[in-house]
Amino acid sequence: MMTENKSKVLLCTCGKQLGLDFGLLEDNVGKLKLASTIVVHDTLCQEQGLSVIAESLKENNGRVVIAACTNQKIQPKIDEFLRNRGLNPSQIQYVNIREHCAWVHEDVNEATQKALDMIRGTLARSALSSSYETARREVPAHVTVIGGGIAGIEAALSLHKFGYDVTIFEISDDLGGHVAKLPVVAPTGKPGREILSGRLKALENSSIQVLTNTRVKFIEGEMGNFTVHYSIESDEEQTLTTSAVVMATGFKEFKPTMMDEYRYGKSPDVITQFDLSQMILSGNLKRPSDGGDVKEVVMVQCVGSRSEDYKRDCSKLCCTFAIDNSLEILKLVPDAKVRVVYMDIRVPFENEMIYKESREKGVDYIRGRVSMVWEEDDGLHVKFYDSLLDQYFETTPDLLVLSTAILPSDSLEELSETLGYALESDGHIKELYGKLRRTETRRRGVVAVGAVTHPQFVFESITDAQAGALIIHNELQGGKIERVARGAVLNVDDCVGCSLCAQQCPRGVPLMIEQTEAEDEEQKILFKASIETLNCHSCGVCQSLCPTGATQLCFLSNEQLWEQIKATLEGAGPDYPITLCFYCEECSVSTMDIAGTRHMTYPASTRFIPVPCAGRISIIDILKALENGASTVMIAACEKDRCHIGGTGNEIAQVQVNVAREILNAIGWKGERVDMFRMFSAEPERFVYAIKIMTKRAKELGPTPVHQGTAGKWVEVSE
Amino acid sequence: MNQAQEREIAPKRKRMLDMIMVLGGLKEESAVPLSKVKEELQHLRSELEPIMGEILEFPEMFFAEFIETAERLSLIDEVNDQGVLNKAISDLKQSLDVSSSPSLEHLLEHLTNALGRFEEKMDETEVTTTVDFSTTISEIPEIIARIDEGVSKYEIDAKAEAEAAREELERLVNELQEILTEHESQPKPPLDLLDSFQKLGTKTRYGPFLRIAAQIKRGVREGRISEGRSVELVSKNALIELYRGLIMHTLNKMGSKTTVQLAETLDVDPSLIQSAIVSMLKRGEIEMVGLDGDAPLFSRVLGKTPSTTLSVKAIIQQLRVIRSSVEGEALATLDECIKKLGGIFGRLQILGEYDENPLSEPVNQLREIVNSLIEATMTLKSTDDAEDLRLLVSAGLEAFARFRLKITLEKGPYLVSDVNAYGEQLDPERYAQIMDSYLENEIERSTLLILIRELGAMTAEDLAERTGFPQDRVFRHLLRMKRDELLTIAGERHGYILYDVPRTPNEAEVILQTVTSIAPQIANARKELESSLKDIKAEDIGRLANALEVFSNARDKMSKISVKGVSIAEQVLKNIKDKIHSAVVLAYRTRAKLPSTRSKVTIEDLVDVDVPTVLDEYRDQMGYAPLLGFGTINWDHSKCLGCKSCEISCPEDAILLKPIIKVSNFFELTGEALEKLPKNKSLFYQTVQNLAAKKPIEDIVLENDIPGFGTIEVDLWLCVACRTCVRRCPGVDEGALELELKWSLPEVVRHLTTESQ
Repeated sequence: MMTENKSKVLLCTCGKQLGLDFGLLEDNVGKLKLASTIVVHDTLCQEQGLSVIAESLKENNGRVVIAACTNQKIQPKIDEFLRNRGLNPSQIQYVNIREHCAWVHEDVNEATQKALDMIRGTLARSALSSSYETARREVPAHVTVIGGGIAGIEAALSLHKFGYDVTIFEISDDLGGHVAKLPVVAPTGKPGREILSGRLKALENSSIQVLTNTRVKFIEGEMGNFTVHYSIESDEEQTLTTSAVVMATGFKEFKPTMMDEYRYGKSPDVITQFDLSQMILSGNLKRPSDGGDVKEVVMVQCVGSRSEDYKRDCSKLCCTFAIDNSLEILKLVPDAKVRVVYMDIRVPFENEMIYKESREKGVDYIRGRVSMVWEEDDGLHVKFYDSLLDQYFETTPDLLVLSTAILPSDSLEELSETLGYALESDGHIKELYGKLRRTETRRRGVVAVGAVTHPQFVFESITDAQAGALIIHNELQGGKIERVARGAVLNVDDCVGCSLCAQQCPRGVPLMIEQTEAEDEEQKILFKASIETLNCHSCGVCQSLCPTGATQLCFLSNEQLWEQIKATLEGAGPDYPITLCFYCEECSVSTMDIAGTRHMTYPASTRFIPVPCAGRISIIDILKALENGASTVMIAACEKDRCHIGGTGNEIAQVQVNVAREILNAIGWKGERVDMFRMFSAEPERFVYAIKIMTKRAKELGPTPVHQGTAGKWVEVSE
Repeated sequence: MNQAQEREIAPKRKRMLDMIMVLGGLKEESAVPLSKVKEELQHLRSELEPIMGEILEFPEMFFAEFIETAERLSLIDEVNDQGVLNKAISDLKQSLDVSSSPSLEHLLEHLTNALGRFEEKMDETEVTTTVDFSTTISEIPEIIARIDEGVSKYEIDAKAEAEAAREELERLVNELQEILTEHESQPKPPLDLLDSFQKLGTKTRYGPFLRIAAQIKRGVREGRISEGRSVELVSKNALIELYRGLIMHTLNKMGSKTTVQLAETLDVDPSLIQSAIVSMLKRGEIEMVGLDGDAPLFSRVLGKTPSTTLSVKAIIQQLRVIRSSVEGEALATLDECIKKLGGIFGRLQILGEYDENPLSEPVNQLREIVNSLIEATMTLKSTDDAEDLRLLVSAGLEAFARFRLKITLEKGPYLVSDVNAYGEQLDPERYAQIMDSYLENEIERSTLLILIRELGAMTAEDLAERTGFPQDRVFRHLLRMKRDELLTIAGERHGYILYDVPRTPNEAEVILQTVTSIAPQIANARKELESSLKDIKAEDIGRLANALEVFSNARDKMSKISVKGVSIAEQVLKNIKDKIHSAVVLAYRTRAKLPSTRSKVTIEDLVDVDVPTVLDEYRDQMGYAPLLGFGTINWDHSKCLGCKSCEISCPEDAILLKPIIKVSNFFELTGEALEKLPKNKSLFYQTVQNLAAKKPIEDIVLENDIPGFGTIEVDLWLCVACRTCVRRCPGVDEGALELELKWSLPEVVRHLTTESQ
């Protein structure tokens, strides 16, 4: 698709600091047929330069190409400047001639040629651009909180303060979850009820709807229009429409009935820490077997935690939990003997204080393991090994308290089927990105707060809940969403209903809607996709997989990218083999920019094309690059499990690369001409290494079949 | 497909093949003219009309009288098994859902009340009874003697039956030998030989023989089997199937036999029997039930072990438990009893199926005595200290844990004091631990058993609640005891499985079971009759005959019921007997006269037949349909988008998109096919073609799914031809998938023939 839409080109010299031949650039860019005019400026990022940009928007329907430093730096400034003046910056394209050209190549001519090629490519992309405007949508200002424990209550209250209607679903008959049943919460020293009381009061005085004895069966729909299916005390199913969901179903304590060695469930005097808490709270600290006094207690740490057979990692809370309970026992029975058998005591933050206190009050900490538990006529017998003394001891405690592992609550998996969040291998909800997006889940409009993602202390659950509420508020904006509609746009007429987008979208945005009430058995079962652009995270996975081109990112259509590939690679041939690199505008751009900032050098026979996420690159894009003369093609993407934009965009890109390599091998090419590399901004060497490999391959593999003219000549050649 | 795979035909597919054989068989019958059909139906209607009223009414009359008698003789009070009550209530409810009946409503009310009383009783605390061990035990030998007598009578009966059968069998064997000798001296054409085989074969009624004979005949007639091949098929395959029929006949009529005994009876070489028997074992027709000297004893496979046999087994185990609570003379008596019962159990197993009724009374009596002893044992022990309790119960439960316990008890101390063959020594502490946990398990299991025995069938959840044992452990125990045949599955409650001990119903329970199980059958059949009689159509006759048959069977069962010697509705049942039998005969006769009410089907026709229609007709004619359908899914790569919608929508998981790229197919796409494809798909193929320097031959095989790519694989053994994938496929035009509703029958026949070889 050719078009003559011209763009104005603004070249920035960065205060005449860049080692590029601007004269040559100005001359050659001026000759490009898609460039209307060219302006060379020394400081585009300054007030004066910004005014030039604002002026430029008046021509060519606002199409401008800015060749300057990294858009990571300059674009926010420009956008803000223009928006403040009521201008729409959506048709400005950027070429990084500083970090990606001038600062990383030694040969000025080569760097200049690269800048020229990339400007030519960007002009082609610009020519087909369309402007995207602010879109508005009203959604119900209602949020559903699943789980009425401390995290759920806190999230509900925070959301209520932001002005949302909130419904809390609680499966038991009372709010408060585990916290309500704790006699003391470290490090506050207050009982759980007291910590909850203020919040419960606030809840009572609010208009928050609380449904107890209620089971959420499943939830369908998408952000802004979820339908919760639930039933109260096994009555008939009811539904509720809501805009977002907070998952706060907490945890469950591991009941080690299958660990015969501890005799839990067999001897009544063997209990878990939570059982003990409830005994203390009810004021009934007695031997369960015969109601005798409790004078001696043995606690065992890490029951089921840090064990390959049960829960592999540390459950984090149990140490503090055990110390809290042992202090409570000493309060009630000052002469009680409490022993804690441990592998490592792990008490973070100020919880260290209560650990110290417990030592001072005489709690005995024994590093070792319990070797045997059995019952005799005189009661429970425990034999344990003290690894510091290298000695076995035997004792007859009144209680054996197991600090058992913290497991995810039930039915998380069941809900995940329709709600679409991902799960960790241990069954907890997987956070979108462990480092930067902790309360978000894979699914937009669904946040996970509190112990549902991993064991959390009470105060962590509270901050988590507040953070989650803020995330939802940021998404829903009080029910009147107004934002630039930058994302996937679906042309329903072109959709054939194959559902690839819905299957693969990392955030579960596309929904498949059945078109017919197919009563007739002969009739086709037709589906059409439906995509809410405001819910989209703009990764472009749907676009890359769509067989019809029905769904496309509004800022980077297929034609735009293909024209950019073609224009960038103009003149690419065997004499100066070119490596084309598609890079994601998340980890990869940061890595490349840092390589530039540090003036690391790499071959200039490289051409870069930015995409929002590696998942945007389809196999066609890769093949197009080769068709247009590239010698090697690479994709720079985020690390495994670190895809910023959608969680799995990079993996889908990897599949495209794998398939492209296989097909190339099959049709008489060398598959190594295509490769994908994972980037990490703290290690700019990775990018330099990747580029060096690919440019080396481009040289070593020599001319491609396209260069040799054998491409497409398969009819004559059979294997 | 190799031999081994062929044998594992999916059950669904097997039923399909059976149906095809029946449809294929219809070919031999000729179509009947429409006028004749009308005439026959008219005749049927006029014959049935005068008697139908009475037929439809008699069950209600029976039920009314039954309830009256039951009330008078307090029959329901004698029902002790809650499970029986529950089942009876659910049967009645089911029946009342279909059609109303005042007398059944009344019965339901009674039963519900009775159940209510049970539940009240369940909530009461258990009453402990004191039992005098030696007196109670002394009652046992007399009962055992009665059981022994009963079993001996069975054996005598079985022997007499065998004797009677021997004559018939000898005749069959002689005839066969005549045929064979004659054939040897003067060979007959294979089909004639087969005819004479068939005359014998119909007497044994052995299915595989009848099938193979029919197949060979058809094959020869249609020219698919050559002359030479047919000689071989008849003289080898058909003959051995005939022998199998004779073996089956012998085992049926004369009880279990060894290979040598069979060879003698049939007057053939034992090696022939040996080779014939292997296939029968594999087909699951016969099984090994014991040893006669060193030779294995074979019997035909029984549908179900009689519950009295199971009860005897359980009683033996219980008696072993009691052993440790008694001493002196009582112990000697008990040991003698255990020994005798052991012998009886073995004999019952060899007998296989028998009429349980005469035996159920003494077995039940014994059961009750033993139950009371067990209870006494348990309560006795709870007063003792815990250690004794463990030892007593565990020793008693030795029966079902015999081997494990033996090893732990005998080998254990030895391993502690000495070393085993590998030079390992068992840690005494570890041994004590093993023993503790082992003994504890046994105690928990016996507690569960006693609860179930007392309170009727229970779920794991109920048991966990009552005992306070964790549910996962209860569940493990239940599974273990189920495997040891100490428990049986007695149905479901709220989706949970109910476990019960094997019980022998008493007379009242048997009567109630019989009456209430008839009720829903009658209700459904009645509905069927009322609707099809309004306007009899040719295709309804199968269902009509089935429904009448249900009434007839119900009458037969009813006539056998007597409550404490009082027969129910004797006169009514007697009056209706001939009428109902003639109605059944009439219906079957009419069906026989109209063998095929649609145009005849030949094997060749089947290839193009519209399967769903055929299935519907088949269902109407035969009263059931084996499955939804069958077919072949054809995949057109050029139209496929690789979207996996078919795989996702398939309800049977029969269709898969495999990560295999048939890349050479990319090069077959030109012109129109390319144009019709969605834009980007087409562009992709074009780009590959533009880049290719050579045309690939091999497929690309990857490990993981590739969105947008792949090769469709359909497991035809799973596909039920529901067309969902075809309808869901968003591919070009009508989609990339096509369902071909046909089946190559010659191929199927070949398939079946190789099966039976």
